[in-house]
Amino acid sequence: MIAERRLPAHLDWPLIAAVVALAVIGLATIYSVTWDFRLSRPGPQFWTQLYAIPIGLLALGAALAIDYRTLAQRSLIFYAVLVVALIYVAVNGDTRMGAQRWMSIGRFSLQPSEFARIVMALVLAMTYGEGRRGTRTPSDLALGAILLGLPLFLIWRQPDFGTAATLAPVLLGIVFVAGMRMKWLVVGTLVAVLLSPVVWMYVLKDYQKDRVTTFLDPSKDPKGKGLQQIQAKVTVGSGGFLGKGFRQGSQGAYGFLPVAHNDFVFSVLAEEWGFLGVLVTLALYLFVLLRSLDAARLAKDRVGAFLVVGIISGFGFQVLYNITMSAGLAPVKGLTLPLMSYGGSSLVATLAGFGLILNVRMRRFAN
Amino acid sequence: MLHPGAFEHRQGLQTRLLALRISLAVCVSALAVAFWILQVVQHQKYEAWADRNYLRTIPLRAPRGVLFDREGRVLVENRDSFTIVLLRERTANLNAAITRLAEAVGWPEARVREPIQKAISRKDPVFLPIPVVEHATLAQVVAVKARQLELPEVQVLQVPVRRYPDDELGAHVFGYVGEIRDDQIGRPEYAGLEARAWIGQTGVERVYNKQLMGEDGSRNVVVNSVGREIGEPLGQDDPREGGRMQLTIDYDMQKALEDGFHAAGLNGAAAFLDPATGEILAMTSLPSYDPNVFAGGIDRTAWAGLTGDPLNPMSNRLIQGKYAPGSVFKIVTAIAGLGEGVITPDFKVTCNGGATFYGRFFQCLHSHGVMDLRHAIEQSCNTYFYTVGSKLDIDKIYEYATKLGLVGKTGIDLPGEVDSLVGSRAWKQREYKQPWYPGETISVAIGQGAVSVTPIALATMISTVANGGTRVTPHLVRAVDPDGQGWKPVPMPAPRAKVELRQEDLQAVRDGLWMVVNEHGTGGRARIEGKDVSGKTGTAQVVSLTGRQAASATMDVRDHGFFVFFAPRDNPKIAGIVFAEHGIHGSAAAPIAKYVMETFFAKREGRPLPAPPTSLRVAPSAEPREIQVGNGRAAGPGRDR
Repeated sequence: MIAERRLPAHLDWPLIAAVVALAVIGLATIYSVTWDFRLSRPGPQFWTQLYAIPIGLLALGAALAIDYRTLAQRSLIFYAVLVVALIYVAVNGDTRMGAQRWMSIGRFSLQPSEFARIVMALVLAMTYGEGRRGTRTPSDLALGAILLGLPLFLIWRQPDFGTAATLAPVLLGIVFVAGMRMKWLVVGTLVAVLLSPVVWMYVLKDYQKDRVTTFLDPSKDPKGKGLQQIQAKVTVGSGGFLGKGFRQGSQGAYGFLPVAHNDFVFSVLAEEWGFLGVLVTLALYLFVLLRSLDAARLAKDRVGAFLVVGIISGFGFQVLYNITMSAGLAPVKGLTLPLMSYGGSSLVATLAGFGLILNVRMRRFAN
Repeated sequence: MLHPGAFEHRQGLQTRLLALRISLAVCVSALAVAFWILQVVQHQKYEAWADRNYLRTIPLRAPRGVLFDREGRVLVENRDSFTIVLLRERTANLNAAITRLAEAVGWPEARVREPIQKAISRKDPVFLPIPVVEHATLAQVVAVKARQLELPEVQVLQVPVRRYPDDELGAHVFGYVGEIRDDQIGRPEYAGLEARAWIGQTGVERVYNKQLMGEDGSRNVVVNSVGREIGEPLGQDDPREGGRMQLTIDYDMQKALEDGFHAAGLNGAAAFLDPATGEILAMTSLPSYDPNVFAGGIDRTAWAGLTGDPLNPMSNRLIQGKYAPGSVFKIVTAIAGLGEGVITPDFKVTCNGGATFYGRFFQCLHSHGVMDLRHAIEQSCNTYFYTVGSKLDIDKIYEYATKLGLVGKTGIDLPGEVDSLVGSRAWKQREYKQPWYPGETISVAIGQGAVSVTPIALATMISTVANGGTRVTPHLVRAVDPDGQGWKPVPMPAPRAKVELRQEDLQAVRDGLWMVVNEHGTGGRARIEGKDVSGKTGTAQVVSLTGRQAASATMDVRDHGFFVFFAPRDNPKIAGIVFAEHGIHGSAAAPIAKYVMETFFAKREGRPLPAPPTSLRVAPSAEPREIQVGNGRAAGPGRDR
């Protein structure tokens, strides 16, 4: 157990620093955009977010304390808990802004769906990492799809199209690095594309269709659904090279850009800190992504590598999509920016995910 | 533990991880480029857009310039009107707010709702206050202020509005103000004005709108996406009060004039001028209206009442009414005859109750016997002026009428003046494609037929006679103070024409006009001891005698009366016209003229003003009757003087 004692020395401190830096940048942006001009103080969202950071760091610590292999071996238990929690929310959850996503635990409320990504990464890493043959055939893909399908369906029905959509990259990322033949990946993607008209007709809800058509031509409805997209561009564009300065933005603070502290937190950052702030933040995210994938490269086994790739695929997809949307370049979906957007559950779950990534890297030499 | 393919697997894993890392780096770089385009390349476009989002300008109305009379007394001023407004942006529940406000101001809810609904349907920006109660009473203001806590969305604003202290007095001089109409926006004279601006809609308020308006100010505020004001205003441009103006009007005479009409029980129009300059000392058109009604926005019922009134109070009869001047025109015929040398003051005509010209008999009221020019004017002898007319070409009469100010517009600084008309060959050819018949000249000579002139044109004509032949332009402004730096006199408009007349000829005409008032003429009611008032009456037929019976059931068929005058006879100081609508005869207008002139001379000589008359009514039976001819070709029995 000498190795165990030396573990903190193998902690990836640069990654932790970058992750915390992004969370603090997000916190500062929330402070700025929720500022109440009458009361001269930040909004309640700031305090929630502030408390979520230490809680999230505790979760991060917890996630790296136990060997990831132990966790992976028990991943089906987590999976069962997740499914039960999602069903509980569906039956008995709190409804906010038209979606039934929250469950109350004492004074806190929790979004189980935020933890789905970690659980799926554990389950799928276990499924593909421990198998003898690797993952090469369509039936391997189908197995993963079935495991993924249940929570994805439950989250979709909340409805939370955005969070549901981030589960798919977890599967795709893992099967890609697990050696799934490109042929089958292409076939799978083609099937998805061919199915999309069917999805459009029978599965997508009207508000989701509206978002897609509005994206294709935002000027059609500049006061309604196109508003967010146009105002996102205005917010980002008006920031310029150096930005308007901390708490000097008008677009987010005066409410021209809706949910600025949440889905569009990056737009506000771009407004107040300009292109320079955008570059710094993008560099931090890129560092986090590449450094995490480094953990996958160094992992001592496939479970560890797949676990990291699963978490990072979901995280990376959500980051890239949200930032693209923040610039008004993608349809508006209820998809937050991990680490920066307002949301306690999301922040705690994301930090816990990084705990697992650190876990894998830390134990690369251990047996 | 490792199975045989482990190494291969390891290789494949590393390759695919590398592919993943490269594609992530490419995606992030692409995003950086996208942000560069938005934030650096297209920055200016989006910056302007963002500014439009949150900067708002709230207009602050400038008080209009104050109008003074020629002695510095206030004629038109401004007052603060209290407007109770609803700030939609502060309203959580609009219906509840309407209920509370209606209760506070004591109005039915529907009345409070109407302007709010209008503003909403007009898509007014949410930060603009909605005026709910304009010209709120003090009780309403107090009620709202007392309940300010319950009515956080209600405010009382002070807005400067026009005040016309004497209500209807001088309404047709001042005009009224109103919100700019859609069809007025964008006209050159209203350049730079937008919807909701207040402008002069007629009268002096309109003609001098630019000088009087001043410049509205504005307050720049920062608003959020629902239009709520945030923080302190960014700055305020104070409104600049409009330029002050001194009118040529004399308040005492203006009051005397309108009192005179009321005492006579008549409607009509009048103007009193300084014949040397054309300054208008008093003028009116009756019935009139109260411009205060318009000052804060007139409601539909009141507007319909004014425009639908058969007596047409909105029309300025002085410059918009056109009438046959009747015997007043004989002054023009006399001057044309003298000027052209076809008669001298001693030229005599024997009147046998009429005369025959071009094979037709033209009537006179009496058999006046032998008449010279002076007596022909005094007695208003038609036969004499028929004869003068027969010696003149119509184009010569037209020429003199033009020089005297009876043709076209006088150029008075009021909007909507119509052209006065005196017949001529060119006019008849243009209008009827017919030659002029000499018989028509005979009618024109006594102011019938092809003569249709405004009262202000007749006032200009008599001023020209009074000042010795210079056609001045009637005008209303003496001095302006555009910026509060002091009064700058406004130069008198240049004379428009000059009639060359021998002194003895002019004197003969003036003598005749003096005799009308002071000897045996029809103007005796205007006589003022020692003032040598000189004048001439005239009657304008409303309908011909033959049509009179038929029309009398549906309209007022009583004839109009004119009285043109100046005083004193030598070196006149005042000249003008009183037009008595349906006054039956010109002599009905004379007492009004007399009362105003008495006021004028009393002021000049520092005497106390004459007491307001109780009645200046003229009994119909007291009127002398005269013969009138119709137009040149269809002469019939009638009355004229």
